[in-house]
Amino acid sequence: MWTYITRNILQRIITLLIVSIVAHSVIHLAPGEPSQVDPSNPRMKPSDIENIRAAFHLDDPLHVQYVYWMRDLFTGELKSFKDNQPVLPKIWQRFLNSLPLLICATLIIWSLSFPTGIHAAMRRGSAYDRTTTFTAYALISIPGFFLSYIMILWVVNTFNVPVIGMKTFGMEDADVAFRLMDRLWHLVIPSLMSAIGGIAVLSRYVRSQMLEVVGQDYVRTARAKGLSEDNVIYRHALQNALLPFVTMFGFLLPALIGGSVIFEQIFAWPGLGRLGYEAILARDFPVILTINFIAAVLTLAGTLISDLLYAVVDPRIRLQ
Amino acid sequence: MWLKRLLTLIPVLLAAILLQSYFWVPTYETQAKGNPKRLLKYIEASSGDAKILNPILNADSASSNITGMVFEGLLDLDENLELRGRLATHWTITEQTYLLVDPNSQLPSGEPATGALLEQRIQYALDTGALPELKNILLDMRRLPSELQTTTITAQVPGDGNQTNPLSVSISITIPERLAFTLNRVDQDFFNRLAPVIGNQYGTHFQHDKYLHNVDSVDENIVAQVKAQLPSLLSVTEHNPEILFHLRHGVRFHDGQEFNSTDVKFTYDSIMNPRNISPRTSDFEPIKTIEIFDTHTVKIIYKRLYSPAISAWTMGILPEHLLNDVAMQKEMDERNLSKATRETFSMRDSTFNRNPIGVGPFRFVEWQSDQFIKLDRNEDYWEGAPEYEQYIVRIIPDLLIQEVEFQTGAIDFYSTLPHQVARYREDDKYQNFSSLGFGYVYIGYNNRKPLFANPQVRRAMSMAINVDEIIKYIMYNEAERVTGPFPKVTEWYDELIQPVPYDPEGARKLLASLGWKKNAEGWLEKDGKIFEFNMVTNSGNPIRKNIMSIAQNAWKKIGIKCNTQYFEWAVFLKDFINTGDFDATVLGWSMGIDPDLYQIWHSSQSGPQQLNFVGYNNPQADKLIVRIRQEYDRSQQRILTHELHKVIHEDQPYTFLYASKGTRILDKKIVIVEPQLDGSERYKKIYPLKSGAIQFYFTKWRKLEHTPAF
Repeated sequence: MWTYITRNILQRIITLLIVSIVAHSVIHLAPGEPSQVDPSNPRMKPSDIENIRAAFHLDDPLHVQYVYWMRDLFTGELKSFKDNQPVLPKIWQRFLNSLPLLICATLIIWSLSFPTGIHAAMRRGSAYDRTTTFTAYALISIPGFFLSYIMILWVVNTFNVPVIGMKTFGMEDADVAFRLMDRLWHLVIPSLMSAIGGIAVLSRYVRSQMLEVVGQDYVRTARAKGLSEDNVIYRHALQNALLPFVTMFGFLLPALIGGSVIFEQIFAWPGLGRLGYEAILARDFPVILTINFIAAVLTLAGTLISDLLYAVVDPRIRLQ
Repeated sequence: MWLKRLLTLIPVLLAAILLQSYFWVPTYETQAKGNPKRLLKYIEASSGDAKILNPILNADSASSNITGMVFEGLLDLDENLELRGRLATHWTITEQTYLLVDPNSQLPSGEPATGALLEQRIQYALDTGALPELKNILLDMRRLPSELQTTTITAQVPGDGNQTNPLSVSISITIPERLAFTLNRVDQDFFNRLAPVIGNQYGTHFQHDKYLHNVDSVDENIVAQVKAQLPSLLSVTEHNPEILFHLRHGVRFHDGQEFNSTDVKFTYDSIMNPRNISPRTSDFEPIKTIEIFDTHTVKIIYKRLYSPAISAWTMGILPEHLLNDVAMQKEMDERNLSKATRETFSMRDSTFNRNPIGVGPFRFVEWQSDQFIKLDRNEDYWEGAPEYEQYIVRIIPDLLIQEVEFQTGAIDFYSTLPHQVARYREDDKYQNFSSLGFGYVYIGYNNRKPLFANPQVRRAMSMAINVDEIIKYIMYNEAERVTGPFPKVTEWYDELIQPVPYDPEGARKLLASLGWKKNAEGWLEKDGKIFEFNMVTNSGNPIRKNIMSIAQNAWKKIGIKCNTQYFEWAVFLKDFINTGDFDATVLGWSMGIDPDLYQIWHSSQSGPQQLNFVGYNNPQADKLIVRIRQEYDRSQQRILTHELHKVIHEDQPYTFLYASKGTRILDKKIVIVEPQLDGSERYKKIYPLKSGAIQFYFTKWRKLEHTPAF
């Protein structure tokens, strides 16, 4: 077990190194210049641009720049090109903004998908099953940004309540309770919108898992024992059907950082996804690379955790 | 089965927790719910962030919007677009004029002019009543002795390749004896009025070279350049208009320091300081000097007659004590700047520009880049603290989000797009204001081209176009017809001038009388050439494109062949407009409040890169344009502008089309508060001024909890 973990961690560190080198090269070789040194910026004099380029080490060879980046990243000295703020606190701040959105969306996805999926599996072929199937495919096919815009317009026109941003602007002096509830309300629509795709996919997945498990011998045995249908489904069948979902917890980690660029953009949510998007537009290399690096770390850690969890919950699996 | 129940219960519970929050959130109708302070905040949306919060340095509307609240000028424009005192309580405009004694000129009596003789003759004419108009305006006349003056002028020396480099040359000139006159008002005809005494030819043969004493250079080229500049340095007649501003007492900057004359002079000096690269230099360039009389009196002396220069004093006044050399040194020390940075350090680099301090109704609090700029009301404002406690500009680049936020009450004002206006106009939750803008749209003909050289031809072109149709179908009636070059909302525009009638038949007859006859194919033809030309405009503007199509079709009906082309804006300017290489174009002007049309219509401004790109040239118009900018009397100016309007209308260098309307939308709960004598308050509906501005009474605006009934 422990040798498995050590070996896996070492392997993943090597993968991480390769990922970071590839990402660094790709981002630096892509066309475009950081906006501060864009020669078409009329406010900049050529001499200023030279100075900034030198300060950013932009004229050094790529591998030297890579070393500078790594050194600054691990000493915490890394600064954004855009506003010269340290990158890590900046990312942390945005991460904290994204976190409630992600937690809320995940709660919605998981709490809604299971009941709908199980019900659909139990009433296979019924009107309910067909409706949920149709709805799920419809929601998967309609682009999320489109639905979001429709939703924003509908909510705003019907209820005249603010939905954009993390809170209503101008509420700074309101009572605490109102401020809290206002924040919660601003979570509702963006998290629902970013959850929709997840609900559609996950509920389909639950349905097929359940259908598979319900056909198994031990379910028939449980029924033959005379157990009530609820007992059969929710105790014997569901427990086994849940196994593959345990691995999905591992993938929640990278989602923390990938977040939902599109939804944060549409709802003007000052989260991590938006930070990454804006950094790409401004060619803010330190920010892009660091977010990318953290995402890689989390993905690799997530897969490791999935593997371990699977071994924990499924006694048939042994890690060598 | 508990698990089954749990699986149903959790989503229901989650939904309940999330959705109940809806009942706590303020809606458009209940903006003060749980948040009474919302009513004391005015939140405006802006698409772009401000750049530099310094009234003498900014050039973008987002920044000037903020500086307009934080800073205040000596003057501003009142409801009738006339100048009104702000930091200046009142002002007087007088004039100082100078006449050089030219010994080469002969007086009408035949004697050569001398200072004493001139003075004596003028005094005699005044005493005998020969110069009645002068007697009323002349306060004082005195003789100034000849003096030696050293000054530096700029010459151009050859540099690398074709470039030339400026070089300062020190010269000394003898200023001959002069007569100085003090007038109680500005009179551009002063020297003409003196003509009976000094003769019509006075000064025409003035020998400038004789007065050049010494040039600090041996280069012949430089000496020649100096000589060429002499007439402007040593003008025989000189007008020096003077404004005496009496400043308001007891006005304090937001940091408590009292505002006084040094701040006025400092603001001017900062604008003219080349290190600051102020975009307002041209407005203040006509100033010769500023004299401080006492702490609250300053005199501005101008180099020449230029009446629009007064309105430049609407610009915000800077606090001298925070930006003078001492303060700058201190800032550089505090920021530990390197020596190289110190050398180029100017007001542009100061942190003041992100933390401005003025005397305006609102004081600066916070600026979060790309998010918001927050101002608090100035409790110490000389006109009384504003009703609103906070003025906030939110930066929202997405126009859809601006609208969405407006509908939910999270912002109070945003620039509405024309297509959004229709939605709000029907809705009684909002108040809307529609008014004519300062711009107009026109078809310009290249007056230099033989085809369009004749005003009659241009008139016929205009007669063929149904402008009312353009306004109805392209502008959805959101525009009004115009007949001339002045903004329709100003008094400079003559409402009595009738537009060229829509009369295609008349146009055809008019062209026929000029020799244009229809040929076999239906096109007008003269001397074997058909009436054909190209019309260009910029791409990406559907309105201009539609106007072109309508005009093209209208002209086709009377036998004129017009080919249309669109070019990308930069190309369009570079290859067609700036070079004057086009036949006709559809464009628009956005005008200012001043009646000065020099740049757009004076014949001297028709070179490459200049604004009179249609090459309009009418000596009568030129004369009027110059007289207008030299006239300081508003009623006189109005007579002159109406005359100019008529001249340009008759010449039809453009087919003047329309001035479009702008509509602004505001929450209906915002009203003007008027305190009554008995201490009670009365609410008044917000109304737009003549200029279309609605924020004139902004400091008296208040947002009520419920929509008031008027």
